[in-house]
Amino acid sequence: MGKSLCAVSRPAGVLFALLIALCSTGTANAVPSYARQTGVACQGCHTVFPELTPFGRSFKLNAYTIDNLPQVQGITSTKEYELLLNQVPPLSFMFQASYTKTKQAVPDSALVGENGQNGQILFPQQASLFYAGRVAPNLGAFIQMTYDSQSASFGLDNTEFRYAKQIPSVSGGLTYGFTMNNNPTVQDVWNSTPAWQTPFDQRSNATPSPGAATQIDGVLAERGVAGLTAYLWWRNSIYAELGLYRSSPQGFTPNGTAVPNGNAGPLDSTAGGVVTSYAPYWRIAYEHQWDRNSWSVGAYGMSTKITPADEPVSASFDRFRDVAIDSQYQFIGDEHIFSAQATYIKERQSLDATFALGDSANPTNDLKTIRVGGSYYFRRTYGGGLGYFSTTGTSDAVLYAPASVTGFGNNSPNSNGWVAELNYLPWQNVKFALQYVAYKKFNGASSNYDGSGRNASDNNTLYLLGWLNF
Amino acid sequence: MKSHLIVLLSLMSLSCMSPSLQAQETEAGKLAAQVCASCHGPRGDSISPGFPKIAGQRAEYLENQLKAFRNRTRADPMAQAYMWGMSSQLSDDMVAKLAVFYSGQKPPRGKAADPKLAQTGKAIYEGGIPGANVQACVACHGKDAEGTAVFPRLAGQHAEYLVKQLVLFKSSLREGGSAQVMHNISTGMSFEQMEAVAAYLMSK
Repeated sequence: MGKSLCAVSRPAGVLFALLIALCSTGTANAVPSYARQTGVACQGCHTVFPELTPFGRSFKLNAYTIDNLPQVQGITSTKEYELLLNQVPPLSFMFQASYTKTKQAVPDSALVGENGQNGQILFPQQASLFYAGRVAPNLGAFIQMTYDSQSASFGLDNTEFRYAKQIPSVSGGLTYGFTMNNNPTVQDVWNSTPAWQTPFDQRSNATPSPGAATQIDGVLAERGVAGLTAYLWWRNSIYAELGLYRSSPQGFTPNGTAVPNGNAGPLDSTAGGVVTSYAPYWRIAYEHQWDRNSWSVGAYGMSTKITPADEPVSASFDRFRDVAIDSQYQFIGDEHIFSAQATYIKERQSLDATFALGDSANPTNDLKTIRVGGSYYFRRTYGGGLGYFSTTGTSDAVLYAPASVTGFGNNSPNSNGWVAELNYLPWQNVKFALQYVAYKKFNGASSNYDGSGRNASDNNTLYLLGWLNF
Repeated sequence: MKSHLIVLLSLMSLSCMSPSLQAQETEAGKLAAQVCASCHGPRGDSISPGFPKIAGQRAEYLENQLKAFRNRTRADPMAQAYMWGMSSQLSDDMVAKLAVFYSGQKPPRGKAADPKLAQTGKAIYEGGIPGANVQACVACHGKDAEGTAVFPRLAGQHAEYLVKQLVLFKSSLREGGSAQVMHNISTGMSFEQMEAVAAYLMSK
């Protein structure tokens, strides 16, 4: 999932999960400014955006620095660049408009027995301004500023800065680099990890979403984090990455008050869900390419300590240990493109702090998520995708409590279902999508899942998306 | 003593020449490794048949093509999508250095092809298609398809890439350079004949 602009409010008694419901936006990434900078059409880096080709992966791992524009430049007496700037900045714009309809309308938020309007138009769903391209000789950026119509706010979305350098003298070629970003896995180059997993990365933000998710699967990004990682890419085949994340929420002021002098206040108990200490992130992957095929397999994970709301930061915390595996296959022909992605995430939750506060029924819980999907495109114009998703975990009467629409009637976090979509791209930078999400189980059950009589299939969602990048 | 002198002189001449050659190798090699390799593979031996193998390709041909991309006279779909941008800021000097760099790389090894198809292709390559106005490829591309003068090396090339180029020549989507010659030749070829020649060349 992409970063939402929804503010992460204090989770009153519930550690996580419900924050995501009705609050998650789709990922949005296909950046014409990279095409402007390189002179290479979208098809160079993307099968169909946002899925990356091997060239796209190489471009990203080399810090977005391939540049074929006239430069403003300065060199030292030893002919080393001390300035290398595009004469025209690599800017671009994205606009998404959508229509969302659930099988059954959601209850009115105020009037008992009434329903809200079913068939929500978002114009825009998201409107983003990107700076995406080279900043300095070995330094590049992907900066996404997004206006979100739900929150009527303009803020920082997925963002990363990346430094990379090649050492060709190493056998097979070695690239090393560093990335600073605000969403664990947003820096990943395979579309089988949470931030960019196709065909699950485009979802409506005007429909209920399952309430339980692992930290690495978008929850940390919603909370607001920033991380610095270092990586190695050897022989175009072996990848290793290690780094640390820490809380960096947007718009926080202690106790919700204005901060004197306009300075950022230090995170405290009123922030809620603060990442205590530093959360290590790791990633390994192997890729093999042959003819027009590529196949990758990898693993990734995080270990995160989080302080519950209203507790002193770092005094007590819960520990979340996420370990995941993933794999991707791509066939990229001139006429036909096929890809398949899969990931399995297992999270072990040691809820010492939350349990002590009485905010969870169990001292330890598990969550497991699996997503498997595939996509096919004909001439990059007509295509579609099909995917299966499932989250299962330990039942918890306090953590997963009943509540209308967003709650868990039987205290189980289990959800699963299918997503199917048809896509039409009249041009490489314009996509129209028709998507249907069908839930077999939602927040623990198929029928009366919330304890208020709503069925999982009532949340089945028809979603029409128009997506322009220019 | 005399032999020692020769060795010494040889070493001196090498040491005098190598810096400029090395610099050329380094500058073009760096660009090749950092940019070109993303599609054309390490040192020009590409993996995907969507992108040609350019290791061991003739320098004159590479130079002409890079200039044709840069001035947009070669305008087939892949050229527009990739190489127009990639070549746009290359100086004549860098074009020449890249051409020398890649022509100096070890040519790709042939890949096994359907023997029957390759045999048919060999006959066309060496003898043309009498009656269809298809001249023998060997006349320009050399006995072992190693290329001659401005005519490219074809040996070891991806078969799929070769077929695609023949189709582009035939439909006049690939123009510039010697494209008119290839248009005339490919016009007389069926798709199956193109596949046969390509299979033979890939296997070499």
